[in-house]
Amino acid sequence: MSDFVDQCRQEWRRLGVADPLADEMAADLASDLGEAEAEGVSAEELLGSSAFDPRSFAASWAAERGIIPTPQSRGSGRRRPLVLVAFTALAALTLIVAALLLLTGQPKVSLVATRAGHAHVFRPPVAPFPPVTSRQVLQANTSAPIEWILLFLAIVALGFAVWLWSNWGRSRPPSVST
Amino acid sequence: MALGAQRRTELLRGVLDLCLLAVMDEGPAYGYEMTRRLRDRGLAIVGEGSIYPLLGRLERDGLVETYRAASDGGPPRKYYRPSSAGRLALGLGVSEWRAARDAVDAVLAPVKVEVAS
Repeated sequence: MSDFVDQCRQEWRRLGVADPLADEMAADLASDLGEAEAEGVSAEELLGSSAFDPRSFAASWAAERGIIPTPQSRGSGRRRPLVLVAFTALAALTLIVAALLLLTGQPKVSLVATRAGHAHVFRPPVAPFPPVTSRQVLQANTSAPIEWILLFLAIVALGFAVWLWSNWGRSRPPSVST
Repeated sequence: MALGAQRRTELLRGVLDLCLLAVMDEGPAYGYEMTRRLRDRGLAIVGEGSIYPLLGRLERDGLVETYRAASDGGPPRKYYRPSSAGRLALGLGVSEWRAARDAVDAVLAPVKVEVAS
């Protein structure tokens, strides 16, 4: 009995439970186990299968009391890497597409900013440039090559993904069963 | 664990908080005393878990109030009793339980097969 309580104490200390709270829980548990033993009731009848796993029992109790962070559920723990993998893959794909577009020659796709009801009139440049229409001039002045935008977004997204992965690896709590 | 015992554990897990609120509503009780009251009604805590994490959750959610007092000739114990929110939760939970029990009974009532457990 006291060995079980001692192991719980160790676990609470490891999890950073404040000493007064750990003392309180340990005292209550020891008293209950002692009373149960005096009545011929086994620890398993009092604690269920937790009687064989003091560390999980202690962690579960402390988590449910809200004195340590609640362990993540297994479901959300699995979903998070999936979302991260998808995000990273999308960012990498975008980077590859942007790089290929840039390497295969002159950017051919442009984003064109237009304002409804706004007529921008530019005077076409004089020779030696060939004459151009006002619409073409508008595109050249207000557009940005989408390849460069994609490349920039992909690099930012990949950087963010790396940061998420490194944080996720550090912040994973120890698995606790209740 | 046998299938029957496993099913009992699963069923109990869903209503153990209500059972704890109910037994402490009869009078403030400490941990082992609640286990004893449940056992006296044929509800043994077997299988997974125990009442302690659940008591911790009830306390965190403000459904119980606690205080320390000396037990009969023993060391000071932590006593639990339902708060007003806990009584409300108990009332709602009992209604839900009865509705679920009646619905399940309606489904299972025609079943003629019975096996001694």
